[in-house]
Amino acid sequence: MVTAPLPEAPPPELRFRRGLNFGSSLRNLWEHRHVVTNLGIREIRVKYNQAVLGFAWAILTPFVLMVVFSVFLSGRLKIGTHGLPYPVFAYTGLLAWTFFSSALSSAGNILVSNPLLNKVYAPREVFPLATIGTSAVDAFAASIVLVGLFAIYDVWPKATAVWVPVLLLVLAAFTVGASLLFSALTVYARDLRHALPLLLQVGLFASPTFWGLEKIPSQWRSLYIFVNPVAMVIDGLRQTVLYGHSPNFKYLGLAATSAMLMLIVGYGVFKRLETGFADVS
Amino acid sequence: MSPEGTVEVSHIWKRFRADRGRRLLRDQITRATHLGRATKGPDPWRWVLRDIDFKVEPGESIAIVGANGSGKSTLLKIISGVMFPHTGSVATQGRIGALIEVMSGIHPDLTGRENVFVYATLLGLSRKQVAERFDQIVDFAEVEDAIDRQVKFYSSGMKMRIGFAIAAFLSPSILIVDEVLAVGDASFQQKCLNQMREVLTSGTTLLLVSHDLAAVAATAQRGIWLADSRVRAAGAIDEVLGQYRTAIEQQAEAEATVDGLIQVSNVRVSGPTNSLVSTNEPCRISLDVHTDTAYNANLYVGATEGAPTPIFAIRREVKLEPGVTTLTLDIPRLPLPAGKYYLWCGAYKVMTRAELTPWHPIATLPVIGIHKLDPTPGSIVRLSPVFVESRWTVERRGGIDAATQTAG
Repeated sequence: MVTAPLPEAPPPELRFRRGLNFGSSLRNLWEHRHVVTNLGIREIRVKYNQAVLGFAWAILTPFVLMVVFSVFLSGRLKIGTHGLPYPVFAYTGLLAWTFFSSALSSAGNILVSNPLLNKVYAPREVFPLATIGTSAVDAFAASIVLVGLFAIYDVWPKATAVWVPVLLLVLAAFTVGASLLFSALTVYARDLRHALPLLLQVGLFASPTFWGLEKIPSQWRSLYIFVNPVAMVIDGLRQTVLYGHSPNFKYLGLAATSAMLMLIVGYGVFKRLETGFADVS
Repeated sequence: MSPEGTVEVSHIWKRFRADRGRRLLRDQITRATHLGRATKGPDPWRWVLRDIDFKVEPGESIAIVGANGSGKSTLLKIISGVMFPHTGSVATQGRIGALIEVMSGIHPDLTGRENVFVYATLLGLSRKQVAERFDQIVDFAEVEDAIDRQVKFYSSGMKMRIGFAIAAFLSPSILIVDEVLAVGDASFQQKCLNQMREVLTSGTTLLLVSHDLAAVAATAQRGIWLADSRVRAAGAIDEVLGQYRTAIEQQAEAEATVDGLIQVSNVRVSGPTNSLVSTNEPCRISLDVHTDTAYNANLYVGATEGAPTPIFAIRREVKLEPGVTTLTLDIPRLPLPAGKYYLWCGAYKVMTRAELTPWHPIATLPVIGIHKLDPTPGSIVRLSPVFVESRWTVERRGGIDAATQTAG
């Protein structure tokens, strides 16, 4: 066969384009939901097969932070807990933050030098989603400690705790959005891997994990919550579970809007960059 | 919609950035801000696939051959859906099973059993389906004793075998195989070939990349030869392999450094009556060797299919004196079936084995004749074609009319 001369560049009308359709992308993801579960199971197995303490490691991170904060910070900084025992107050916040932080930091790396990237024929977001899933399992395990703390200090969840699913939904939406965004960007800018832990370290102290939301001046509070919806979730968990108040609906609305925006932007950026992942990682 | 197992590749173009070095935020920003000027610099993109276009019907087996870096693996990755083309599109029907880098899906910290379940479910089987095939997979991989051990304590052969076994029992509609026949020892390779054959007879479409041309010839029906990021030849496997081998030979000829210490020239090949040689007939090869110094040399003359590995090589120890020595090699019955072959020659000092002239092609050797090799099923891979004069005797015992059959 004699090959006919080929043009230097491909005909532009044949350029490969995927109709980036929100609905079809989600449907495709739903068809591959078992991949997310299996990736998650694999990750959990790998993580705890080797560890001597097994699931205790999931509990340890927020627990140790709670102890450290209780011993060294609560007295000196005069943090007002409105009559609550400080460990319960801090642990509630740390639980939410640890989930967000561990999900984001592991999702940020998941697409870089992942041997499975070339093997699993599923939409690429299954990788960060599976990682978020494992972080959620960890957080669930860690919440056992909270039950223990409830028993020790005889503080029990109030009826307003029915709001918790709504708050967790906001948290999940923001976490998924941020994880998708960072995992996709890290493929193209590898040094984000170093920036992310620093960012999360700052975030730990900039979020009301060991202090209360009222420390933020009220005129700045709306902007603060819009930038960091995790703060609203932390405060909301305390208000509803521990104090028996309804969540502040203005702040809840702001946080939900911010989380939805993050989800849409993160998913959009991820899908836009997805086609190049296998080429560069 | 096309039936299950169809692969349609239409006008695929794919490029990679020529510098695949660091990817830092700083570089991205520089690239973005210099967007206007970037067009003046050298083209940073390199095309690895250009206008690849073919269709595979269900149940067909296609081999993709070509030199290293000709884009074979990239093409397979695009077909399997983990990589996206720049231009064009790929349409596949049915589940794809890909044996590409089988090792990398195996996690060293998990046991063999866990790996089988987790990996197979990731590749698209349900847990029930894995459970059904579990014994087969373990049996095939020959790791019964080690199945509950962590894979990091496996030998590298065991790791490869379990990786292949998982992928081999996926029962996909389209099986993509990238150079996995190099897995394991000879008996496991034979098992892999048999398994692939079995998969093929069950109607699976096979896309195969391999440098083992003998195995390719036995397994595939059609061939696609990629060179210079484009399809150089496509068609029946024997035709494509013939062209590919010719190209390998030509390249070897072009690259051969014939400025050894001695020179071989004036190669003549003749048959019994004229210059045509045919199967199982006498063949005479004569050549002139020129040297400036006297050597005690081992001279080798052999026939190949294009690649340097010869089908046979014949040695003669010869005392070379300054000047020209003419050597004639007579082969009373040439054991080559009809086809295109190449004569190669090399010479080495007898004592030190130092090279006098490298192993290089010296002439073509077209063999005519009616003798063709008997076709073999895919699970029997011939190492190289040799015509062997033979005679069968079949005796039926206990029957009424015991017949005797002979064939030459």
